[in-house]
Amino acid sequence: MVDIEKIEKRTVQSFYDDGLPEISLGLIFLLLGGYFFAQTTAAERSALSSALSVLFVLVIVSAGFLASRILRFLKRRITYPRTGYVAFKKKEPSSKRRAATMIVGGIIGAATAALYGLSPSFKVLFPALNGLLLAVAVLLIAGKIGLARFYILSAASAVIGLAVTAAGVGDIKGISLYYGLFGAAVTLSGLATLIVYLRKSPRADRENTDAV
Amino acid sequence: MPSDLRILPDINRLIHEPARLALAAILSVVESADFLYLQRETGLTKGNLSSHLAKLEEAGYVAIEKTYRGRIPLTLVRLTDAGTAAYRAYRSRFKKFLEKTG
Repeated sequence: MVDIEKIEKRTVQSFYDDGLPEISLGLIFLLLGGYFFAQTTAAERSALSSALSVLFVLVIVSAGFLASRILRFLKRRITYPRTGYVAFKKKEPSSKRRAATMIVGGIIGAATAALYGLSPSFKVLFPALNGLLLAVAVLLIAGKIGLARFYILSAASAVIGLAVTAAGVGDIKGISLYYGLFGAAVTLSGLATLIVYLRKSPRADRENTDAV
Repeated sequence: MPSDLRILPDINRLIHEPARLALAAILSVVESADFLYLQRETGLTKGNLSSHLAKLEEAGYVAIEKTYRGRIPLTLVRLTDAGTAAYRAYRSRFKKFLEKTG
């Protein structure tokens, strides 16, 4: 009997077969690590420090834009000639889901601000908080697509965040180190997956595979 | 006929066929996919895939667009609205049937 749910899940998983989504996501995290590192090198209240604070949203948006462009380019060059072209549906989040995300985000933001207000030394926990929050996000993705390596990445995020905090590296420097290390872990996971994918999937002879 | 089995005659036999069901399941998740992707994911031969897609197209369940990417021919397949409705109906009916029969 055909297991419909398994086929649907496998189809979603196929997007991650080549490791390219992880590589592009890893590059975003590395860029964020670089951004926070630049903040640590800039003198407090200097022009560079102010400019970096203002540019934060721009850095996030352009990193996301660049990563999606790179992903599309690499998919076109590497994946489609080997395992075929597929375009996934772009799901607009439902209003309930959007509201839930905003509420959760608001609660986390408010709790962080409140704790920081009560004790400024709380900021030494920022790397651990980042690590745990991203661990939950990656865990949700892992649960949805059912790929073992994403569970490992989720655990890696939590471990790196907690380890950086325990090492007492500091708040911004710690966040920079967390994003650098987690970005490297995600990129390496993607590269390893890509190598396996390239070995298993030679370029298809299009002339002989395309027909109806 | 036992009540559990009464929904069986209503099962869409065109989609019920395993290869076509697999194709519909894949296409239900994606916007569109090309021939090579469908062939690799289903493990069907080129001839079999062509024949099943032709049947689905005849029923108006899939739309097939022949195009080119550069000089490379590309056959894009997508589930139509009728195909999506038929697949969803099949999926929910069959799920109910499985739940009833255990």
